[in-house]
Amino acid sequence: MASDSSPANIHGGPLSPDSLASSPIGNTFSSPGDSRRQKRGRRSSYATPPPPPDSRFATPDATPTPSSTNPRRGRGRGRRSSTTPTAAATPSSTDDAPPSSDAGDGDDIDEAPPMYVWGTNISVQDVNAAILRFLRHFRENPQQIEGKYMQAINHVIEIEGESLDVDAQDVYDYDSDLYTKMVRYPLEVLAIFDIVLMDMVSRINPLFEKHIQARIFNLRSSTSMRNLNPSDIEKMVSLKGMIIRCSSIIPEIREAVFRCLVCGYYSDPIVVDRGRINEPTICGKQECLARNSMTLVHNRCRFADKQIVRLQETPNEMPEGGTPHTVSLLMHDKLVDAGKPGDRVEVTGIYRAMTVRIGQTQRTVKSIFKTYIDCLHLKKTDKSRMDVEEQMETEDRANRNDNDFSVDYEDKVEHLKEMSKQPDIYTRLTRSLAPNIWELDDVKKGLLCQLFGGNALKLPSGASFRGDINILLVGDPGTSKSQLLQYIHKLSPRGLYTSGRGSSAVGLTAYVAKDPETGETVLESGALVLSDRGICCIDEFDKMSDNARSMLHEVMEQQTVSIAKAGIIASLNARTSVLACANPIGSRYNPRLSVIDNIHLPPTLLSRFDLIYLILDKADEQTDRRLAKHVVALHFENPENSDHNVIDLPMLTAYVSYARKHIHPKLSDEAAEELTRGYVEMRRRGNFPGSSKKVITATPRQIESLIRLSEALARIRFSEWVEKPDVLEAFRLLEVAMQQSATDHSTGTIDMDLITTGVSASERMRRDNMVSTTRSIIMEKMQLGGPSTRLLELLEELKKQSAGAEVHLSDLRNAVATLASEGFVAIHGDSVKRI
Amino acid sequence: MVGLPYDCLSNPLGAVRLTFEKAVASGSDPASFEGKDWGAADLFHDFLFDNGGLSQVPMLNPSTLKWVQPNTLVRFRGMIQDMLGNEFYVGAHKDGDIWRTNKFTDTSQFPMAPSSDMRIWERRLLYCIPVPGQNSWAEFSPEAVKNPYTNSLSPQREKRQREDDATMSDVDMQDSCHELQASLSAKKMREDEMDFQPLNSQKTATEETSSNASLVLDAETKSFSCLVKIYDSPESNLKLNDVFEFVGIFTFDPDLTADKDDSDELTHGFGEDALLHLPSSKVPRLHCLVHRKLAINDFLSVCPTLELKSNAVKELREALVGHLTAVLGNDRVTAQYMLLHLLSRVHARADTIAVGKLSLNLTCFNKESASVFGNRLKLAIENLLPFTHYLPLTVDYLNTVSLSPKKDYNTNRLVSGVLQLAEGSHLTIDETELQAGTLNSTGVENASVLKSLMEFQKVEYDFTYYKMEMNADVQLLILSEGKSNLLPADLILPFQPSSVDSPSEVDADMLKTWRWYLATMRSLPHSIEPDMQKVVEDDLVAARQADRSLGSQDLSRWLTMGRLISASFGETCLTMEHWQMVKELERLGRERLHGNM
Repeated sequence: MASDSSPANIHGGPLSPDSLASSPIGNTFSSPGDSRRQKRGRRSSYATPPPPPDSRFATPDATPTPSSTNPRRGRGRGRRSSTTPTAAATPSSTDDAPPSSDAGDGDDIDEAPPMYVWGTNISVQDVNAAILRFLRHFRENPQQIEGKYMQAINHVIEIEGESLDVDAQDVYDYDSDLYTKMVRYPLEVLAIFDIVLMDMVSRINPLFEKHIQARIFNLRSSTSMRNLNPSDIEKMVSLKGMIIRCSSIIPEIREAVFRCLVCGYYSDPIVVDRGRINEPTICGKQECLARNSMTLVHNRCRFADKQIVRLQETPNEMPEGGTPHTVSLLMHDKLVDAGKPGDRVEVTGIYRAMTVRIGQTQRTVKSIFKTYIDCLHLKKTDKSRMDVEEQMETEDRANRNDNDFSVDYEDKVEHLKEMSKQPDIYTRLTRSLAPNIWELDDVKKGLLCQLFGGNALKLPSGASFRGDINILLVGDPGTSKSQLLQYIHKLSPRGLYTSGRGSSAVGLTAYVAKDPETGETVLESGALVLSDRGICCIDEFDKMSDNARSMLHEVMEQQTVSIAKAGIIASLNARTSVLACANPIGSRYNPRLSVIDNIHLPPTLLSRFDLIYLILDKADEQTDRRLAKHVVALHFENPENSDHNVIDLPMLTAYVSYARKHIHPKLSDEAAEELTRGYVEMRRRGNFPGSSKKVITATPRQIESLIRLSEALARIRFSEWVEKPDVLEAFRLLEVAMQQSATDHSTGTIDMDLITTGVSASERMRRDNMVSTTRSIIMEKMQLGGPSTRLLELLEELKKQSAGAEVHLSDLRNAVATLASEGFVAIHGDSVKRI
Repeated sequence: MVGLPYDCLSNPLGAVRLTFEKAVASGSDPASFEGKDWGAADLFHDFLFDNGGLSQVPMLNPSTLKWVQPNTLVRFRGMIQDMLGNEFYVGAHKDGDIWRTNKFTDTSQFPMAPSSDMRIWERRLLYCIPVPGQNSWAEFSPEAVKNPYTNSLSPQREKRQREDDATMSDVDMQDSCHELQASLSAKKMREDEMDFQPLNSQKTATEETSSNASLVLDAETKSFSCLVKIYDSPESNLKLNDVFEFVGIFTFDPDLTADKDDSDELTHGFGEDALLHLPSSKVPRLHCLVHRKLAINDFLSVCPTLELKSNAVKELREALVGHLTAVLGNDRVTAQYMLLHLLSRVHARADTIAVGKLSLNLTCFNKESASVFGNRLKLAIENLLPFTHYLPLTVDYLNTVSLSPKKDYNTNRLVSGVLQLAEGSHLTIDETELQAGTLNSTGVENASVLKSLMEFQKVEYDFTYYKMEMNADVQLLILSEGKSNLLPADLILPFQPSSVDSPSEVDADMLKTWRWYLATMRSLPHSIEPDMQKVVEDDLVAARQADRSLGSQDLSRWLTMGRLISASFGETCLTMEHWQMVKELERLGRERLHGNM
């Protein structure tokens, strides 16, 4: 036990606080041998036969060679199970509080002179007392009769568990000093923790044989893998990452039994001491005493499980232009196989380093250290955006696991809530959506609604109403539809991007394949099933085969995919929003044809889209100029400082997923009324005499869409109630989408001059103003049924009224056309007549 | 700096030690040196750059590897292919009462008393390979650095060392070693002769020899790599796929081979550790003292003292266009476009858009013209740009090759793919060989990787559990029969050669100036005056009014071309004249495209 005379011993060595900042290890070396002895010696005086306090994190063996070492590195549960009974049975802890007491603060007042962990100002007794106090008296709320951890301990005893999970946050709340000590000197403090636990358990149930260990989790701050540095060695750290590799389970010897080859005498179990088992050189039997005759008996030895796991940084922690860092974790016993490759986990453990020997046979130690984390606790995080929804479904489970939201998470939520209170959040979000795609404000608003989604409703009768909003973008080539799609794909919680030409019906839904190894038929999910609870982006929708398109009918309304092939009959969930984009028939929008004829998709499918945007490219000098400006700016300005009022992508994702998870708006009465009124209005318009089938008429589906849209709009504001403005905006979106304001109901064609999609709000305002000024001028100057006025005259008048602002003839023409559509004036060539 | 008490070249560790001792003596606490430099780096910086020591430092490559001695100063040029994380080491320890440092070494020079006081520091490990696709002319000619050890090094010693290696290397390797040795000494002789000749001709000669040598070395060059250990440098300075020159202390330790064979359970566990797969007997280590990022200019053997005077540049440009025209069978329009293409680079990124790229798709190749002009073009580009690649695209190729780099978790290494390229590489994709066929899943994946490189200048790296997009800056040239549907290029141009005469030979000097020209013009900054901006905007609006099919991509391409044309004249500001040229060029291109359809 005495000679800790190797560099490796740093790991076990206690640390001195003053040298901590720069190098925790430095001081340990001046006289480790002595101190160790001292410490052990003294400690044994205070709690009688405890296992060496630091046995759980065994001092890595003197020269931990890669090969022989490890038996010792790690927690000696296996071994201890034999030693503990004695410890537990003997009520040796005389200097602790009397067994009966579970109240009284003086549990642990010790008469003995204070004892310090070597090199620190940590008094063993103090820590012992603090831990005991914490375990006994910590309560989550004052009403509880029994302390949280007393309950937990009793529970562990009942189920014969092996570990007690201790929330570090609780420790901090109760005793921040203890927390600090624990994080800084985990080896020492945890050893004391274990002793205290052992005493408590043996007092409650003297027959309880197992040794209970404290598993600390939920540290206040978690470190990034990248920032681990030498000063973290021997400290408790908490890391997030993804498991990429698990080694096979390694049996680690705990106790060895030897047999004499000469006389067959079995030795007593020999316990691993600092990573080594000392093979007896002489037979223990008095009669034999043969030399070098002992051989290991494998099946009488005790082994414990050990596993080495590699943890890799999650992609979002990586700086640009770097590769992910990895770190090794050492798992023991119960933690073995707790995580599988691919799991995102949060790990709490002790960061350790060990020397590397040059060769197995050489004693020389390289000056290099290998680092690893002795794992104390492992928690699967899975707070990736993908699983937001899943957590919702299995709410109970999620709630139980997640009662420990980290501090920064709460901060973030607070921040999101603050954001949602801004009056201009709707426009701000719109602006932040694909900031590089220029204009198309209304389309972006629609897409925003799609991202937030409405509420899915399941009636007790079994009928369900989807909450997902489907959007179709139809438009001329070169109107950046694909870019919008790409952007949404990047942003959406889960989703796939496919191109119509490349997708077949089975590729979208599900297909049956033969497993090459077993020969069994297996069901492979297609794009729609894979994007369950996400957004499935389908580009070039028009180029998709009819067969594939027809598969979408079921998905878009029932949200399931039914399969009946190769003996497999199944119905799979495909609760996905569909975002499709298509070119009009003949690639370009033909203004002479009606909207329906231009889109040329079966009406059954069309009606399943909540919003159909016609993104038309209108020969308008002003829009062209804006485009030109935009492109030039892209090339000649520093793109970073172009728009600073934009919410960045991670924030936007956080905002969306929070809203989707936590906000479930309901319709207010006022809003419901407005909905009914608006719908009736819409129906009436659709039934306009002579409209025939040339326009998209309102169907019950539309009202569902409207509800979904208004719910989404309420969600954007983080509001639990859908209010009237939401409904009005939903109506507006629906109208704008179909260019209905610009549609000539008699022919079903669109008046190209009236297209408003893609026109920014300010531009729209300008046009509205123009219309109202023109109207007032006409009211003033012209009599009802009077003589007609030439447009140029009106322009002169307009210029006079709106001094300063530039007025173009084309603007006026637009305005007059709007008025004409209202039936206010009639246009004959260049002259206007009021009717 | 006269009479240095140490030799930075042959005993850099001595220099390090001396500065360390000096620093300690002056009262600094060794503990405070963590992550800092105590003057060693400054010293070497002075030595290398201010006193011209850099040229004396031998370049590490497969041929010099044979004679460079451990613990001497070497330099290495390469691309960071993988990052292996951090390594903790005993930075300083107490030997008795004296502080010693282990910085810049693998093993301690002084015995470390087991109980001694020590400080643990960290360093970063980078796995570097020679820049992929580097053309032979851009390689550093070994003759430039004399082997200072040839005389002192007794052959016997070499032999012994190699015998140590013999455990690892088989007979074949030994043979090749001998060969190399022979070729090296032959070169050495030649070099001696050449010392009398004027600089320029020597260069040409060395180029020849080096290209010969590179043939011999080719197989070895591929696997040649170097593990660079970086000290005290912020993480953001060194990025994946960056090209750097590292100057540092070379260690090559055949002793450490034992590691690999003796590994047992534990080493397997921890030792997905990439280091195990890179035994130091195979992969040399370089403890980096000074590193600097390299631009293409640094790969040019000679920089002509040409100034950016417009006339000289204009002549150069004219000559180069003439050369390209000859290469392209008298197709001057294509040659013009080609020049712009060769000058393009991604200079900014806005969201998903990479601004400044100009990928070129030359169509109308048929079997014959592809074999003639394809090869000619390939050679011409190889002669002009330092890093070039040529991908003959076939269905088989797509189905089998791994284009994007992939993380191998068994070895914990990033396995390089064809598309892990250094910034500014040129990639020619020959689609003329592509036949109808079925792509398997790898093929589809590869096609989409190529497409995303084309569209966004990004390559997806496969990390098994997720993909990670890395920015790239690669010039892409596609040769195809019709318009490539697989790979949408920025610019599609039917290629119309009018003669098949092979172009006249170009002399090496001219090539060198052209290389310099391309490298320099490419890095020029660019701006636009407000009134010119107005003109451009008006033109764009007018063009869009006239032709509705123009999208923002087209407009964006025009501006890119404007920038590149200005750059090709050595100007940093777009002028009216150049803008007109863009429009003219665009008109010619369009005419061709429509005439062809």
